[in-house]
Amino acid sequence: MTEQRDSYSDVIRSLPNPGLGLGLRSKHFNYILEHNPEVDWFEVISENFMDSGGRPHHILRQLAERYPVVMHGVSLSIGSTDPLNKEYLTKLKLLAKEIKPLWISDHLCWTGVNSLNTHDLLPIVLNEESLKHICNRINRVQDFLHRPLVFENPSTYLTFKQSTINEWDFLRYMTEETGCGLLLDVNNVYVSAFNNDFDPVHYIHQLPHSRIVQMHIAGHQHCGTHIIDTHDRQVVQEVWKLFTLAWHLTGGVATLLEWDSNIPDFEVYHAELLKAKQHMSSIFDMELNPEKQEYSEEAVSNPVNFMINDIVVN
Amino acid sequence: MENSTFSLKQLQNWMQGMLVHHEPLENGNAEVPVMVEQVVNSSKRLSAVRHMDIYRYSYIARLRACMQSQFSALAYALGSELFELFADQYLDTYPSESYTLNTLGEKFPAFLEETRPDAGQEEKETWPDFMIELAGFEYALSVIFDERANENSTVTPNNTPDELLVPAPVLHLFHYQYPICDYYLEYSQGKEPELPFPEESYCAVTRHNYKLGLFTIRGAQYYFLKSMQQGNTVENAKNDLVKTFNFSRAEVDKIWPEWKKSFIEAGFFIAKNIKGP
Ligand SMILES: [Fe+2]
Repeated sequence: MTEQRDSYSDVIRSLPNPGLGLGLRSKHFNYILEHNPEVDWFEVISENFMDSGGRPHHILRQLAERYPVVMHGVSLSIGSTDPLNKEYLTKLKLLAKEIKPLWISDHLCWTGVNSLNTHDLLPIVLNEESLKHICNRINRVQDFLHRPLVFENPSTYLTFKQSTINEWDFLRYMTEETGCGLLLDVNNVYVSAFNNDFDPVHYIHQLPHSRIVQMHIAGHQHCGTHIIDTHDRQVVQEVWKLFTLAWHLTGGVATLLEWDSNIPDFEVYHAELLKAKQHMSSIFDMELNPEKQEYSEEAVSNPVNFMINDIVVN
Repeated sequence: MENSTFSLKQLQNWMQGMLVHHEPLENGNAEVPVMVEQVVNSSKRLSAVRHMDIYRYSYIARLRACMQSQFSALAYALGSELFELFADQYLDTYPSESYTLNTLGEKFPAFLEETRPDAGQEEKETWPDFMIELAGFEYALSVIFDERANENSTVTPNNTPDELLVPAPVLHLFHYQYPICDYYLEYSQGKEPELPFPEESYCAVTRHNYKLGLFTIRGAQYYFLKSMQQGNTVENAKNDLVKTFNFSRAEVDKIWPEWKKSFIEAGFFIAKNIKGP
């Protein structure tokens, strides 16, 4: 067990930094194949392709030949008290065998129990019991896939009374116990921190930086009393500041811009990503002063690109 | 109630119940529903209930939006208010059990049938039939779009001998009491079709280079293609047609070249590989 954990740990440490990446969205399929844009790598939502026998799969095959690809999942449900879904894991493994991703990631969350799927990334109770439960499951999934997994901190909108461990510590214990890696979503840190009254700067400082293999940046919607993670707009300055901090602390890791709703044209999406370059070299300014923003009333969290196929009719 | 009374399993069951069933589930053997305040922290700006409501609101709004995009023609036909009502009831009755959202609407056509407003009445209204057929068609299209199949990519020459013609790997045939395919096509072309009157209709759906082709066909053509899908040759399918429709053989032979040309052009047929595997 310890040996296995150490070998996963070594794999995580040796993962490359492919640079600045974008999420693969069906809206951009044609553009990417026609123009071969200079994007360093693409992140694909595993669930959108693992059952596909049509166009999405056809496009992904071509894309994986041209670009490094990372598989990002939303349905592993590592925190659920349901048994692990063998069918899902088998399909995940098959897809990985085919497209050879640099790594496979999912979220520290649960998505449902009693065989239901809420299709949301639900918050984890952070205590000893759940830590043990989750580490045990991570071990089993990693052994099944024969590779370490990478876990992302989700946006959260509540905390549980029963939680006794800080999220940053919980994530660190996970890496220590299982050898898994981390995907640090700096926007999610910002969103969760605002919603649950913690300091995002402290959170990022406390993480085990050597275990972070990737970052996410994204736009969100501010509703006044809370923030919803909508992935539907540009990244706010405050989140760029956190990105700068995390960039320095990690020494620079693969970075991806998420955009899942109101998806703009490819060039606009790419241009927003490239802004990351100027924030890599800027000095982190501890002062987080939220810019004035428009508050919106009803936002729906869009944690990931849950894609319903856009049917193409001739 | 002490916090420690909730196991992880209880907690997840309870929270999921809050989302999926819009109401707190009862906690094991306890008589009273678990209060959100007992489980969830309040924060500087939000009460525990408001925190929970963010998840509750997002759950239904997200899945409703998915239903809307999976059944966009139906949503147009019903109007968004009525569609939402049906979608919400559906999600309540058949919450998702799948890791993918692509199958979210799988049981929707059956659900509409089960819950048709005139169920149990002798005099049936007709518009529910249309809606049910349209829902079934839209869901079928999403399945065909992404089904595993050898793609119809080769061009079949018009002069391919009849003996070599076989149905394309992606060819699906539909028979409806309403002009479903025409309605769907008009809708997808951005027109604003009106609720149609009942009228028996047949259609064929193909996939070529990963794009769907939708074709309204005639009843006799439907039976002819069905017969070929069951493994019959062109010759036998023609014989079937003569028997079923009381056509004369001469009539069928006369119309055949025209059918053959349009079927090949529409991608209903491919040429059998005579070299074999
Ligand atoms: Fe993310």
